[in-house]
Amino acid sequence: MQPVNRMRTEFISKSVNEGFARVVAASFVAQADPPIDILADIRTAVSEAVTNAIIHGYEDKEGIIVMECVLYNDRVEITVEDFGKGIEDIEKARTPLYTSKPELERSGMGFTIMETFMDSLTVESVLGKGTKVHMTKQLEYR
Amino acid sequence: MDVRFKRDGMTLVVSIEGEIDHHTSSLLKEKIDSRFIMEPVKNMIIDLSGVTFMDSAGIGLIMGRMKRVSSVGGKISIRNPKPEIIKMLRMSNIYNLII
Repeated sequence: MQPVNRMRTEFISKSVNEGFARVVAASFVAQADPPIDILADIRTAVSEAVTNAIIHGYEDKEGIIVMECVLYNDRVEITVEDFGKGIEDIEKARTPLYTSKPELERSGMGFTIMETFMDSLTVESVLGKGTKVHMTKQLEYR
Repeated sequence: MDVRFKRDGMTLVVSIEGEIDHHTSSLLKEKIDSRFIMEPVKNMIIDLSGVTFMDSAGIGLIMGRMKRVSSVGGKISIRNPKPEIIKMLRMSNIYNLII
């Protein structure tokens, strides 16, 4: 199936850009007129992915985050990529309630929320090179 | 993001407005913790009726405040979350704090 639209944006890893990223993603997906709760799920998942890139990928140092959204008739595919430190153990990172930064009062729910709120989640990471999170979401109820 | 406080007996009512994410949660935590120390209270109600967005940073914020309130023998509750925030709360062990 051919995409009906595509967008790519990049921004620096400032925490204020978490809000920017989720607004941009939701605005882009809104053109497909999905139900409001599906749009809310996408906003939340994007926020989690971008926050992970800022806190864990770059550890609050400045770097570039790339977000790409590809819109199909029935779904959206969203990729959030950083070029930071990478994840040593992806399986461990995806464990509910696990956080490598308990001092920040992180809940350890980031990947769990992405998995639950989206229809699919894949995580690719190379130590010292960065992390790419790929998520898909159907835009209508099945 | 804005936060307002009201004291009701031994309870501090914390009303948050706007979005709770990693960006806003640090300042929120500071404001709530300093007010909780200043006031002669031991319980806390977090009113989420004005919260338009919350991700896992909000769960972390509530869990952190729960520890602080528990450490002085108090109780914490959550009031008026919107449906999309209830979905988030259901995934954590703080769902039962909703009153």
